[in-house]
Amino acid sequence: MIIDIHAHPGFAHDIAGLRKEFPAALRAADRHGVRWICLNAIGDWSESPKPPAVRRGNDAVLELMREHPQRVIGFCYVNPRYSEAALREIERCVVREGMGGIKLWVSCKASDKRVGPIARRAAELGVPILQHAWYNRLGKFVGESTPADVAVMAARHPKTMIVMAHLTGAGERGLKDIAPYPNLHVDISGGEPEAGMVELAVRLLGAERVVFGTDTPIRSYGATIGKVLDAKLSRRQQELILGGTARRLLARRLARGGRAAQELG
Amino acid sequence: MMKVDTSAFLGHWPFRPIEGTPADLGRMMRANGIAHVVLSPLEGLFYIDPEPANAALLCQIAERRNLWAAPILSLLIPDWQEQLDALAGNAQVRAVRVAPTFDGYEVKACAAAAKAAAERDLTLIVQLRMEDERHHTPVLNLPPASVSDAVDVAAAARRSRVVVSAARLPELLEVSEKAAHLPNLWFDISHFDGLDCIQRACQAVGARRLLFSTSWPFFYARSAVLKVEEAEIPAQRRQALLGGNARRAFALPRR
Repeated sequence: MIIDIHAHPGFAHDIAGLRKEFPAALRAADRHGVRWICLNAIGDWSESPKPPAVRRGNDAVLELMREHPQRVIGFCYVNPRYSEAALREIERCVVREGMGGIKLWVSCKASDKRVGPIARRAAELGVPILQHAWYNRLGKFVGESTPADVAVMAARHPKTMIVMAHLTGAGERGLKDIAPYPNLHVDISGGEPEAGMVELAVRLLGAERVVFGTDTPIRSYGATIGKVLDAKLSRRQQELILGGTARRLLARRLARGGRAAQELG
Repeated sequence: MMKVDTSAFLGHWPFRPIEGTPADLGRMMRANGIAHVVLSPLEGLFYIDPEPANAALLCQIAERRNLWAAPILSLLIPDWQEQLDALAGNAQVRAVRVAPTFDGYEVKACAAAAKAAAERDLTLIVQLRMEDERHHTPVLNLPPASVSDAVDVAAAARRSRVVVSAARLPELLEVSEKAAHLPNLWFDISHFDGLDCIQRACQAVGARRLLFSTSWPFFYARSAVLKVEEAEIPAQRRQALLGGNARRAFALPRR
């Protein structure tokens, strides 16, 4: 079973627009046998969205979860700069509404201490944090994390499951930054399908720390699945990347989620 | 469906352990059902005079009837026209590839190369980039070449055949109106990505302008194959994109 741990419902800022955009992702996922799509909506796609924008994005994901209960697992996007609002949003979306994880983007670096309360709450709830990171020579976001920042976060919060987004953005250096932290995983989303990167991730981290994610609609399902199918890996390693690792990361939370949990289990 | 990969490479890339060997190329082609490949030598991008790299490529693929060459041309070399003459004498050479940012000249200067290539029945490939600029090592640090200027090359040399290689989808969309009037212009899909990227490219410039390409060994070739398989386009357009268009863009003889 293939699980996409990193997807966005679209670029629209409202549920009506996202409802129009999302079916294309579902069709593409169907074509490649992707069973579950973990959706997060980055508020208004600004660097540091205010709580109302964050909430609107999460509302849209909740709607899509309700409309596609057998396909969509929500990830709750929060902005650590608004700590109290972020924790309230986690209570609303993860605890009460059953989202399966938390998403952090570029509002502040993963090494920022304001991330602490969120990371601790994620550990208590047993849900993973999907944290954007990139070694970006052309970086334009002040709060964009590097893999080294994510490594700091992982060291501070060893009980928190963290998925660092964007294998290609991390590159060789980023993989070595995160290798010492067993609670830290990498998703293969983002960037172009640079050959050899998936094999390198498996060699440095083990397949049980590598997760399939597309970053759709920014990237395509075909290009991303091709990275796994073309990589020189054993069948077992491919299975772990495409779904096995994600199932482990999501299982504890979804064990409370009824049908979804049964399907995942 | 017969696939023609219009942009792949042999040789070594100095910044990552990437090595395209003929044996690996054969495995890649078999695994992905690719019948023909247009190849350039990676080293040629870095040599001041790419001639030795081109000679090595032609030696490696000699007598391989399903492999075509697109040697590298540097317009900084005074005898580039003579090099073009020599290359045109080799039946496996169907194109030449220029990489203006690697050599440090304006894309517009490639119009002369397009005209000269056309006179020899060769296609000109304008390479915009090789890899994501966000990941360049400081020693490389190259901006992408301008896609708009590359389109202008095709406009300035109407009798030429020009292939723009490694454009991203947003770059294609920016020039689609201008490109629509140029029947001598094609775009390879190697760097297109995003949900519906192939459909959107088809809508922007028409499927007949798009060329299947993997950018192997830089990229996983399977990614390009699945990207096209995923596209919601009619079978006829898919076939054109995968192989039929390449025959026109490179004037490939039927074999």
